[in-house]
Amino acid sequence: MRGTRPVDAMFNRRAMIAAGGGAMLFGGLITRLFQLQIMEHERFEVAAAENGVRLDLAPPQRGRILDRFGRPLAAHRQAGRVSFVREQSDDIARLLSKLSDQIEISPEQQARLIRDSRRHASFQPTIVRSELSYEDFSRLSVLAPSLPGLQVEMAPTRSYPRGRDFAHVLGYVAKASETDLVRLSEGANAQERAAVRRLFKHPDMRTGRSGVERFAEEWLRGEAGFRKLETNAAGRIIREFDDPSLAPKPGRDLYLTVDAELQKFAIDRFGKESGAAVVLDIETGDILAFVSTPAFDPNDFVNGISSADYAVLRDDVEYSPLYHKAYDGTYPPGSTFKMVVAAAALEAGVIDPNERIYCPGHYRFGNNTWHCWKHRGHGSVNMHWAIKGSCDVYFYEIARRMGIEKIADISKRFGFGQRWELGLTGGRSGVVPNDEWKRATRGEPWYEGETLNVGIGQGQVSTSPLQLAVMSARIAAEGKVITPRIIGEGPRPESDIPFDAPLDPEFMKRMKAGMYGVTSEAGGTALRSGDLGLGGPRLAGKTGTSQVRRISAAERRSGILKGGAIDRRLRDHALFVAYAPHDDPKYAISVIVEHGEGGSKAAAPVARDIIAEALRLDARRTPAYTRTASLGGSGGAGGGGR
Amino acid sequence: MICAMAMIGVAILHSATFTNPEEAGLPMRQATRFGVAFVVLLVTAMVPVRWWFWAAWPSYLATLILLVGVEFFGTTGGGAQRWLQIGPIGVQPSEFMKVTLTLALAAYYHKRWNDYSGGFLIHLPALGLILLPAALIFRQPDFGTTLALFASGGILIFLAGLWWRVIMAISVAAVASIPAIYFFVLQDYQRERVDTYLAQLTGQSVNVMDDGYQIEQAKIAIGSGGWTGKGYMEGTQSQLDYIPEQHTDFILTVLAEEFGFLVTSGVLVLWMLILGLGMAIALRAASLFARFAAAGAVATVAFYILFNVAMVLGLVPVVGVPLPLLSYGGTVMITTAACFGLVGAVHLGRKDPINTGA
Repeated sequence: MRGTRPVDAMFNRRAMIAAGGGAMLFGGLITRLFQLQIMEHERFEVAAAENGVRLDLAPPQRGRILDRFGRPLAAHRQAGRVSFVREQSDDIARLLSKLSDQIEISPEQQARLIRDSRRHASFQPTIVRSELSYEDFSRLSVLAPSLPGLQVEMAPTRSYPRGRDFAHVLGYVAKASETDLVRLSEGANAQERAAVRRLFKHPDMRTGRSGVERFAEEWLRGEAGFRKLETNAAGRIIREFDDPSLAPKPGRDLYLTVDAELQKFAIDRFGKESGAAVVLDIETGDILAFVSTPAFDPNDFVNGISSADYAVLRDDVEYSPLYHKAYDGTYPPGSTFKMVVAAAALEAGVIDPNERIYCPGHYRFGNNTWHCWKHRGHGSVNMHWAIKGSCDVYFYEIARRMGIEKIADISKRFGFGQRWELGLTGGRSGVVPNDEWKRATRGEPWYEGETLNVGIGQGQVSTSPLQLAVMSARIAAEGKVITPRIIGEGPRPESDIPFDAPLDPEFMKRMKAGMYGVTSEAGGTALRSGDLGLGGPRLAGKTGTSQVRRISAAERRSGILKGGAIDRRLRDHALFVAYAPHDDPKYAISVIVEHGEGGSKAAAPVARDIIAEALRLDARRTPAYTRTASLGGSGGAGGGGR
Repeated sequence: MICAMAMIGVAILHSATFTNPEEAGLPMRQATRFGVAFVVLLVTAMVPVRWWFWAAWPSYLATLILLVGVEFFGTTGGGAQRWLQIGPIGVQPSEFMKVTLTLALAAYYHKRWNDYSGGFLIHLPALGLILLPAALIFRQPDFGTTLALFASGGILIFLAGLWWRVIMAISVAAVASIPAIYFFVLQDYQRERVDTYLAQLTGQSVNVMDDGYQIEQAKIAIGSGGWTGKGYMEGTQSQLDYIPEQHTDFILTVLAEEFGFLVTSGVLVLWMLILGLGMAIALRAASLFARFAAAGAVATVAFYILFNVAMVLGLVPVVGVPLPLLSYGGTVMITTAACFGLVGAVHLGRKDPINTGA
């Protein structure tokens, strides 16, 4: 059959042509292979052996983080570094023992370094020490030529010139771990993943682990480039070519809204106490100070913190330095919550501000008795007096009258129960309890008695210091929607703030009057803190005590009410929220002193001093960056971010 | 003869896994896949070629339906929508299409040439058979497979006797339409690759972070191999992760760097022999269907090899085309096995004239 029909003949003919064409293509490929492998072999061999010119990946310089006036909070400095390259040394053990004559390296460390060096490619350096003193650096530089494979050089290192001051806000950078690499190459294709991996495996490359450093990673990172180097056979760099087209593109600077001087003042003012403070610009919502103390030094993390040092930070449960108390910490707001309850009662219409409620020092409801902090009682008080004297009985009564749902609704309009997205890692929403919440979390209905506790800011309700600062800012601004922000110029956090209905200005004026009474009228609970010491402007605020544990009836009888005898960890937290100046509010603040006991005694003086310093520094004056988005009112969208 | 081919396949696989010390689990998995592929090959070869003839149209239609399914229900992986999830297994209908298109074209020409001979118009339906799936696959987007369909389909049309002057006209038109395709059809990332390609051909410095980097490093790897290579596991380029995708599309760089010109060109010659064998089988078959099917299968595999090698050697732009049997990856392995299986079936059924009773 084969070849009998004309079509078969044609097929055969054409098949031969096609096969011939294919063979020619194969021949072409083999020729090309010959060209590359044999004729140009030398050129490529040179390139491969990294003799002559080689391209080294050059990591970009990470953008700085600056405060509102352009003071660097995260920058870089050159640090002396000694490392070795496995493939260039014939005896690493000997090299390390020579090195240990100059700088201290224990035998265990030497063994670990040798192990480490086998985990990556033999041409990549293994860092022995990153923070060489000037003396060590010069001594080792002299030694280096006699020890092949030893590299002593200056390398850029991320530095945090303000140390602990901004630890929680900035976070820190560290070498990318496997987890980081996965996160950093999310959504990338195989080729991009390889590029990310290559870049972050570079010994000088760091990635943001927490705080702004992590949130703004892409903004700060920049783009990698290459260094064009000429090296000799031993791999030592002979010279570097200047090729601008290959240079890495540095990352962008980022401005925060904070004032570094105010932040430092605030931290110093806390002294040995642990606590948090938030200062807000009432007009713009700019966070001027965002303090959580004690803190850690992010510089310790840049080159890897030792596990022992880390354990010290991690295991300090009493002072919890790793924890961002101002943003991640939630506490019952105590009496600072009374403005919210009062405003809710006014909105609900369950009380006239002039109506008087009699406080005998305790309050009966059902079979239980609730106590007022003032055992003798406040007597007959109206709303103004109830706020400035912080009368618990008054608030039990109005809370009971309106019920929990009314309180919950207005709490949300003050910004409670939601996480403010600032562009930092962490941040907690706290709890604004109501019937639905309790059924969802505890599986049981809300009891009216619990409403009384929430009425004085205890029990289930919990708030962060940031939320309390926003609350006092909204009161001071007479109900205007204030949205906190900490990134001045940089990537915009995408926030969807669900509750931003303005509050009734008339009610807010009453709250302001009450807060002024607290610090400046007879009967106020924080009279000593009203004067800012600036000869004129006064502060308005509200004290609070956040219960750490319930005082038992037995203790109440035996009279141990104040905590001198109680272990520190069981003492109550002291709170104070305030704004100043009273007649023309510019700053709002919230302060918590952990286990400080009384708001007026421990927290109010701290808040007063910080806010006075803010006024003295004029911390809210025009920042160094240009504002790109609409501020104030509706909260910022658009501009600069991605 | 099938056995001989399979043996060669094993040998090549062996060298692939040998030169591929990447992640430890990969060679084993690849070997398992080869086992599966080998079964596919045997089964495909055992099926009488007559059955393939009957199955040609239904399978073409079925694959086409699956492709339309991908369009609507496909899952996205690596930036393209190629996969169809059927129960627990994901399938890539575009891969099946390479085989079924060959079958369909073979069946078409078989019938055409038995009924009637000559004429230009008989090629138009064949072109339609190619264009339909090609358009669907291009939309995914999968440029490599689209090209593969055009290449193997085109070869079949050529073998079916398309007039020379038409071929000339199409060639001229194709060359003329390159700018239009560049500007209007290609996606941005594809265009970038073409730019990179042109830049490195003309010796300009290219963006060393992206595709240019890959090609440059691949060339260094290959070029530094020399006559005999650097020895197994000694390739600095390969061992130091210089080349992205070196265990898949760029596997040849490992071979070239570590074993040198002699072995690499030997492998290419081996491929030529295998493909030549396939063509010989095609020529010897009695029925037109069998001849076209075998030729189409050979053309598909040949396209893969030629394009992949040309790509790695920096002669054509980087398009994701793997190297059959050597590259790590399951689908191309199965496709290749099916293609060879088909050739095997043709060989076994070479005496069957498949008179369709028409």
